[in-house]
Amino acid sequence: MTLRLIFQHRRLLCLLCGLLPGLACADIVRGVNADNGLKSWHFTDGDIEIELIQRLPDQTRALFMNHEFSREVIEELATSCMFQMIIRNNGTSETGRPVAIDLTQWRMRHAGKVTGIQLKEPWLESWTDEQASPAAKLVVRWGMFPTRQEYLPGDYNWGLTAYGILPGSEFDLEVFWKAGETVRSGTIDNVQCAPDVDKLK
Amino acid sequence: MKILQRIILLLLIAVAGPGLADQTLAPVSPGVQAPEFALQDTNGKTHRLSDYRGKPVIINFWATWCPPCREEIPSMNRAWRILENEDIAMLAINMGEDEDTIFIFTADYPADFTILMDRDGAVIEQWPVKGLPTTYVVAPDGTIAYRAIGSREWDGEELLEKIRGLKK
Repeated sequence: MTLRLIFQHRRLLCLLCGLLPGLACADIVRGVNADNGLKSWHFTDGDIEIELIQRLPDQTRALFMNHEFSREVIEELATSCMFQMIIRNNGTSETGRPVAIDLTQWRMRHAGKVTGIQLKEPWLESWTDEQASPAAKLVVRWGMFPTRQEYLPGDYNWGLTAYGILPGSEFDLEVFWKAGETVRSGTIDNVQCAPDVDKLK
Repeated sequence: MKILQRIILLLLIAVAGPGLADQTLAPVSPGVQAPEFALQDTNGKTHRLSDYRGKPVIINFWATWCPPCREEIPSMNRAWRILENEDIAMLAINMGEDEDTIFIFTADYPADFTILMDRDGAVIEQWPVKGLPTTYVVAPDGTIAYRAIGSREWDGEELLEKIRGLKK
């Protein structure tokens, strides 16, 4: 009975773990949106909450087609395994600590290789004005998740993240963050990129 | 036992949900001057930040394609209706979009406060913004008093009191 209660209420226990610095205790909840079938991965460890929500390549195409991108660039973005990501610092102003995120530290494991995730800066530097107008680049600059950001208690942010692998692929994501002066990490296993339209059914 | 489990579950929902985070405005180190700007509103009128010296100014950076920006517009509008006669200004700086896009958007998300357009993103780059939405509250002396990353319920009394407190 005790073990069952611990399992059922592990999220509360994780929150309690967050009050004790250095005690690792992560919780991952996988979900499926009943309306659109998109999958999500919800990672919680102490005060930090990271949510990854699948984006269909067509959703990404639709977003960027409204701006001045070349067809090739839109296709590159759409087929780069985009996720909507939400990061929250759920600490309270009384007890919480700042959380710093640096996406250059994050690692993904796919097809036996460990690499960094796709950041927006290399894309922005590589595109000519013909491939992406200055106004279009603003959408990527501000639509994709900030590479480095500090979250005070109560702060949260949404943005796109890309993983540079084909639609339908699967990977493990190792996330890092700094809570106060302590570097923490956790792994979200078996994250699935949304499939492209022709694979849906 | 079932009743106990339900109580624990309700506590979990109350404690572990997104609502756990404070509806906070984080104080900014004292003395940081807010960068000046001159931007047009959707009617073509130019607004300078210095025009508002002497009153608290809420400055919100946003875009129509940003989900949490959309989420907070209704509470911003409710807050504006409360604050508009209290000598407090609210300026929402749209990032990179044109009048037509904003006009269509505000049909679905009514906004009675002033919307300014940073068409080339030059102003947002002058501010310490990392993502959208980000909101700053500028004190009457032109320094940045508070900032909020992510959306807030702007008509919450706790937030409004902090903003009003800058008038003292």
